[in-house]
Order: sequence, then C-alpha cells, then structure tokens
Amino acid sequence: MARGLTREQIGITPAMLQTFGEVVFDLSHNHQTRHGDPIRLQDWAEVERQREDMGLSDAQIGAKLGLTRDQVLFIRTVEERRRFRTGHYQRLLELGGGKRFRPEKFTPHLDRFRYGEAALLLRAALAFDPQRARHFVAQGWWGDDTLPGWLARHAKERPDAPALIQGESIITWRALHARSERLAGALSAAGIAKGDVVAVQLPNIAEFVIAFLAICRLGAVLSTLHMPYRKSEVESLLRHNRATAAICLSSAKDWNPAASFLELRASLPDLKTVIALGAHVDGALSLAELIDTGTPPDALEAPAPVAADPFLLLYTSGTTAAPKAALHNYHTMLSNARLSAPEHKVTSADRLLSAAPFSHLFGLYCLHVAFHTGAASVLLPVFTPPDMAATIARDAPTALWTGPAHIAACRALGLFDKFDLSSLKIAIMSGAACPPELVRWFAERLPGCAITQLWGMTETQAALYTRPGDSLEIAAGTAGRVSPGTEARIASPEGEVLTAGTEGELQVRGCPLFPGYFNNEAANQDAFAADGWFRSGDLAVMDAAGNVAITGRIKDVINRGGIKFNPRDIEDLLDAHPQLLQSAIVPMPDPVLGERACAFVTLRPGVTETPTLQALCDYLTGRGVSKQRLPEHLMIVADMPLTPTRKIIKARLQLLLPAPT
Amino acid sequence: MPLPVIDPVQAKQTIFEYCKKKGALAVGVADLAAIERIAPPGHRPSDLMPRVKSVISVGVGGQTAGVWSLPAKAMAYFGSTETRAYAVAYGAAFFIESKFGVPSIYCPPDMDPDGGPRVPLQSLKLHAELAGIGARSLAGDILLHPEFGYMYFASIFTELELPPDAPMAENPCPAPSCVDMYRKIGQTPCMKFCPVQCLSGEIDDAGKQKVMRYDMAKCAEMSQQYESVPAMLMEAMAAETTAQREDALFDPDNKMLWYKVSAGSGGWFAQCFECMRACPIATQAPASDPIRRTHLLRQVKADKA
Repeated sequence: MARGLTREQIGITPAMLQTFGEVVFDLSHNHQTRHGDPIRLQDWAEVERQREDMGLSDAQIGAKLGLTRDQVLFIRTVEERRRFRTGHYQRLLELGGGKRFRPEKFTPHLDRFRYGEAALLLRAALAFDPQRARHFVAQGWWGDDTLPGWLARHAKERPDAPALIQGESIITWRALHARSERLAGALSAAGIAKGDVVAVQLPNIAEFVIAFLAICRLGAVLSTLHMPYRKSEVESLLRHNRATAAICLSSAKDWNPAASFLELRASLPDLKTVIALGAHVDGALSLAELIDTGTPPDALEAPAPVAADPFLLLYTSGTTAAPKAALHNYHTMLSNARLSAPEHKVTSADRLLSAAPFSHLFGLYCLHVAFHTGAASVLLPVFTPPDMAATIARDAPTALWTGPAHIAACRALGLFDKFDLSSLKIAIMSGAACPPELVRWFAERLPGCAITQLWGMTETQAALYTRPGDSLEIAAGTAGRVSPGTEARIASPEGEVLTAGTEGELQVRGCPLFPGYFNNEAANQDAFAADGWFRSGDLAVMDAAGNVAITGRIKDVINRGGIKFNPRDIEDLLDAHPQLLQSAIVPMPDPVLGERACAFVTLRPGVTETPTLQALCDYLTGRGVSKQRLPEHLMIVADMPLTPTRKIIKARLQLLLPAPT
Repeated sequence: MPLPVIDPVQAKQTIFEYCKKKGALAVGVADLAAIERIAPPGHRPSDLMPRVKSVISVGVGGQTAGVWSLPAKAMAYFGSTETRAYAVAYGAAFFIESKFGVPSIYCPPDMDPDGGPRVPLQSLKLHAELAGIGARSLAGDILLHPEFGYMYFASIFTELELPPDAPMAENPCPAPSCVDMYRKIGQTPCMKFCPVQCLSGEIDDAGKQKVMRYDMAKCAEMSQQYESVPAMLMEAMAAETTAQREDALFDPDNKMLWYKVSAGSGGWFAQCFECMRACPIATQAPASDPIRRTHLLRQVKADKA
C-alpha cells in the first residue's frame, strides 16, 4: 500500500515495477551527486542544472517520467526494499577504538566461515546430559582448557624449557608454539578449517605433536590412524569420519602411505589434501615445508577453539562395516589430564615417555598430562624393547606410560640388566590385563619407581588408577580407584548395582566420559545403561575402599555346558609359566558343551621345547585350577595378534580355531 | 490595543541569545526565499506554515574527544545528540510566541508520513546551510562547521520577520590533511573508511570540492535498519524448517532488532559515524569538544551582564 492505497488502486503492475524501478531509484535521493558547492554559493543556475543529480522528489520524478507521485512512491519503496541487504550493521561491531573499516580486509558476515556439513554432524554428536554437564562445570571439572591455550601458557611461562626431547634433538615450548602456529597457518591456507577432520598416521615423533597442535589451533578435529593400518582399513575409517585432509609418511617399511592416501581421494570425496612427511610425493604437500614456511593464522580469521569444540575422534575397534569412533571435546579430554596429573604426582620438572603410540588414547593421555603440567615429552617413535630401554637410559624420563606387554618383552630380553632405568619415578601400566606377578617383579627391579596400574578406554579415558604410595598388594592386584571426576560401579547383567567383592560389569560415568560413538547408533544403544552409565564390557570386582580389580571381559567368558567362567586368572598363571611369553584363552565352539576353553600361547625367546597341553594342565592343576576350567585345546602361535597398545585381539585368535567336530 | 513594534535585528539577537543559553552552538536565520526556491514542492516551509516569514536554524551536539574513540557499536548510541537540538528549537518556538506574540512552530524533524521512508518533511540540512551554520561536506553532504565541527540541527518557523544570514563564506571541507590524502590515494578519510563504501568524489586543483557522490541507499543499509524488520519477517515466512523459522525471528541479531522496535533506542536509526570519526573537522574543530566550548556560553552570559 502507498498512502492508504493498494497497488491495484494506484495502477501498479509488475511490468511497471520492472520498467521504471531502476530509473526511479536512480533519480531519487538514493543516489546523489553534487558538483561544486552551488547551494552555499547560491548559484541558482547551477542548482537548477544539478537538481536531477542531487536527487528529485517523488513528485518531480513523476513529472519527469509521466507517472503519478503515488506510483513513483510505490515503485521507489519497492526498489529500495528489493535492493536492501540486511546485516550491514554487523560491520560496526569490529570498528572503533582505533580500528577503521578497510574494504580489502572485510568479508561480509554472510560470506564468512560456516561449518561444513560433516563438521556440523560432529558437533551435533556432542550431546551431554544437561544436569551432568552443569555438575561438571560447578565442580570446576569442565573449564576453559584447550590445547592451544595450554601451549600458549607454557610458551609464555617457560619458553626455553624443553617440550619435546629425542636424544640430542630438543624442542622448547617457544619453538613448539611457533612451529605449530606456522603449520596451522599453512593448513588454513591449504583449506583446512574449523570443524574439519584431519586424519594423522604418524609415529611418536615431533611432527605428530606439531601437527596435532596445529590442527587444534585451527579448531579442526584430529582423528588418529594406527600405524599398522593399511589402505583398506584407512579407507573404511576415512569414509566414516569424512576427513578432509590426511597427514602421513611419504613411505613406510612395506607400503607407501602418501601415495595410497592420494589414490583414496578418488573414492573419498571429502578427502582433499594429503600432506606427507619425508621424500617428495607428487600431489602431496610437504609437512616439513609447511612447518618451516607457514605464516601463523590471523586470530580474527581463525579464532582459537573453545573447550566445548570437538577435538578428537578416536577409533576404538572395527575397521570394516561399523567403525566405533569415540568423539571427545576439550572438556571431556583435558579435564581428565588436568585432574589426574597431580594424582600421578607429575609436575613441570618431569619428563614423560610414552611407549604407547600417540594414535591411541593412552599415548595421547601421556601427551595431555605433559601439556597440562609443562613437563617435557620424551619421544620414542616406535616401540621395540631395546629402543625403549635405550631411550630411558639416554633421555632419563621420570615417568613412563607403558603396557604390561612392553615390560614383559623387556624382561624377556633381560634389558633391565643392560640399561640404567633408574631415572624413572613412576610407571603407569595400562592397555591390557596386567599380571600381578609382573608388577611385583617390576617393582622389585626398580625400587625407586612407583609402579602403578591404570584402567581406561578410549571412551572413558583414565578412569581408574593406583596411586604412587599405594601398597604393592593394591598396585599389583587392582587397577586402582576412580580418577577425579569419574564414578565407577559394578553391575549385574540385569543392571543391579552389586556390592563390594562381587564380580560384575564395570560401569563408569563422569566428566571425562565421551558422549557417544560418532555416527553409530547401534553401538550407542549397547554402550550405555538406561541411566546413562557407560558399560565397559569388562568384568571387575570392587573392594570396600573402591579399588577395582579387572577380572576379564564379558565377551571372554566361557560357557562350558552352562558353567560360565572367566579365564583371566588362568591366563595370568600361564603368563608366569617359564616357557611361555603370552597366553590367551578363548571359547571354542563345541557341539556337546557349547563351548570349551582353547589356550593360545607364544613361547619365550630361546625356548625350544614345546609344552604339551597335558603339561600345562598339570601346571595349572598344581596351582589350584579346577578341572572344568582347564584348557581343552592348545594352540602354539609364533605371535599374538596385538592392538597398537599390545593388547591381544582374541577375535582374531578365534579365526584360527579348528572347525567343530 | 496596538501590537508592540518589534525591531527585527533586536529580536534576532534576543532569540539567538536564548538559543545559545539553552545549549545551541550556532544559530542562524535562513533566507526563506532561497529555501522556497531550492526545496521541492511539498517540502517548502510555506507548505507547512503558509504565513511563515523566517526560518531559524540551531545547531547543537558535537562529541567529547573521548566519544570518538568509542567502539562503533557504542558510538551508534552516544553519537546522536539530535534530541538536544529539538529541545532547543522546541523551547525557542515557545519563547518567540511568549516574547513577541508571533505564531511559531518547532519544525518536525521526522519522515514525511505522506512521502514514505527516506523522505523528511523538511530539509533541516538545507535550512542550516542557508542560515550559514554549516557547509556541505564530501561525507554525503553532512554539514560541517569550522569551529563546531559536526552538529545536529533543528529549525523553528515563525511569522516573525527576521533578517536572514548568509551562507558560510568558506567551506571547511575538505580539510588540508584530507586534500593531502586525496592527492596520494584518490580518497579522503571519509571515503576510505566508510563501512559500506557509499562515498566518493573529487577535489579540484585548488583543494576545493569538485564532485561529491553519495549512495544513500547503501548508507541506509547501515544506518536505517527499519528495512530489516520486514526482511526478517519475510525470511521467517519463507523458512522451510522450524529451526530456520526460529532463527529468522529469534537469533541474537534479530532479537536485537525486536528490542530496538520495542524498548530500545539509538542504534535503530543511528548513523554509523565512521565518516565523522575519520573527519578532522568533526573531531578536531576548535570548539568541537563540548567541555572546551563552555566558555562560549559563559561568554554569552558575561556579554549580557
């Protein structure tokens, strides 16, 4: 309507709007041009000559174009509306106080960054119970921790202190900050943006750490790929996480990762960028060059992440049809390290060595504790028993993140006698069931070192651990008590919470717990109890003091003719057998009893005489194992299939079982 | 009873003293015939007040030096002092009627309800320019004064005949520093730093304005956000999902607009002030700082005493 009249009353048609819209707009005061200063000078001829340039009234335009004033008014306001763009006021939000508008540096707000579809899916998966989240914040467990924030703090407070140590090569906090900033800028220039997933397959080297921090600086999400993974596993995971970039080695012992990633771009539309460390690979960017030549990102264009941002996407198992990826933000992940560092008595004066790969939660946990405290990280690129022992002797770490298999392997090779490991003040063993006998032996060999156990999962992080100062009985026989911010309970298969001393499923909840598997609703259905507690799948017993002994896996329970038993204690006994290095007992299908126990074993180095099933049964019987729990089949294998944290993959052993008769 | 004889010169001085006492920085009388000649039909003083004899223009405002360093979003609120001009003009209209017994009006400053948006009832800027208290600048014809810098204006129409003032003899825009900048980069500060790049123009060899170009439509996108409200509603109606509809109506930016419509003020129709923030005349004129300029008011009192 114009002046109370409708367009029909005025006689406005779409054709009229189209015909006269532009000329009416241009003749109106919306576009004004003045030559000289005619009004002030009262140069009437010039005033008249410039009337049109300075903007005509609607009536004047009407007279000029042969339209009524009302028609002009209508056309003008429609044209103004059509051209009007909202949001210009937003430009003012960054001006003033010394800052002025510069067109070349300005991006209209609607054209500014927006999360991609994949990034929004990730963010949507970060759903927490609001009451629990509020509790975590009230307790101070969730705060503003981010890795870029921690790194900046150390670069400022202890710039010249070592952050990464690998023999002669030392990178200070200042240098680490500078390199990660440069790489972040280079990654940004390569198109990697906030919320993007970046897959990294690198060993425990400085470039992994720098890449990790650079990815975090951009607010991108790191998804680690275990080093043993090859093309088919990688493709499955990258299809699931929709990574836009991959950082890997140019070449490895038995394959060419960079070339393989480049080939995968054909089948993975999200994968755009491949960055390789090592020799030049056509089509891939050079990680070393990016670190050396990148320009730190602009704080306005690439704001640092906040604690609620997604941060890590870690695969727990399953590289085929339904990968299980645990998604963490900084809240969940870093609260665990911040709250636990004092429990481990780690300070900025310490040096931390992880034998576990950084591609795994346990290795990352070690890094995070170092990043929180300002301790140095001693780097062991790839675990081998001699390399670990030599690294300890050379770089003198004070804290060791390790697995029972690591220590067992060192013991088997006599490395404790060959290397000086006395720098260690604490060892944290995790990743697999820890034989008590191994803990006792380790404690005897390093009397100045607190041997502790830790139980955790990618989903729960470090949920339980023994503390320095705990008795050897606790340290050897249990996985310890809950970490700050974590709660644990033992539940029956029916969901009933069990009392102390009763075996059941270990369930946990707390501020470090992940919100759920990304894009795997079926897994989430199974993973959580009705009241939100995470079902670990581990069997455990909790004592009155809250110490939890892990007794096995629910899936490992053998059902022999209706009699169910957990073979974990039998495996511990076999692991201590003088001829055996490792053992695993798995259920073997049986047409009569349903299942029988089959023992898989590997032999210690130098053992030539192969033990018989009968000999092992005699050994076990002599140590109180009842007849119905004895293994009924023996398979001697050269190597155990191991996870990256050297946990035996029993599912793969089951594939080796003989067919039922 | 015969009406008292009014001395136009004395009356003008009395009115000026009143306005300055009430806070006007500058007062002038515009040549009515010139306004009537320049203003388009429907927007002439006689269209509003048929027996008008004089148009008085008052200028107030300016900013403390500190205001110009405010963040722009705060400047949008603090920058506008136009209501002070209206108050002076409103009081002056009453003063003229009570003192001289002559009908007077405070000229409405707002949009012409009959003319649609972006069309004022009267051009207060034209009144002020012809009254000699401001000259058109390269910044979209915003008026500048060499002593008071950037002001807001209001007008009083009266049937009292007052001798008109002449327009300013010199235009302070462009300032010498702006000419220097133009010679180097082809832009003055107001052109360069306009957030919507709505200003352009040329300066001649003598350092005077040659051409001023002003894209008012672009400027309005920044400073006259009333168009945003129907745009927001259109967006809400066109939304395909509930979430999009909620965003269209309730996202933080749009909620601010509702606030401005309902309870807020200032930013809704506020200029962005960036052209004036960059203007040396607006920010550095001798008496553009109200604290420094109070001596003028004191001087008026002293002169009167």
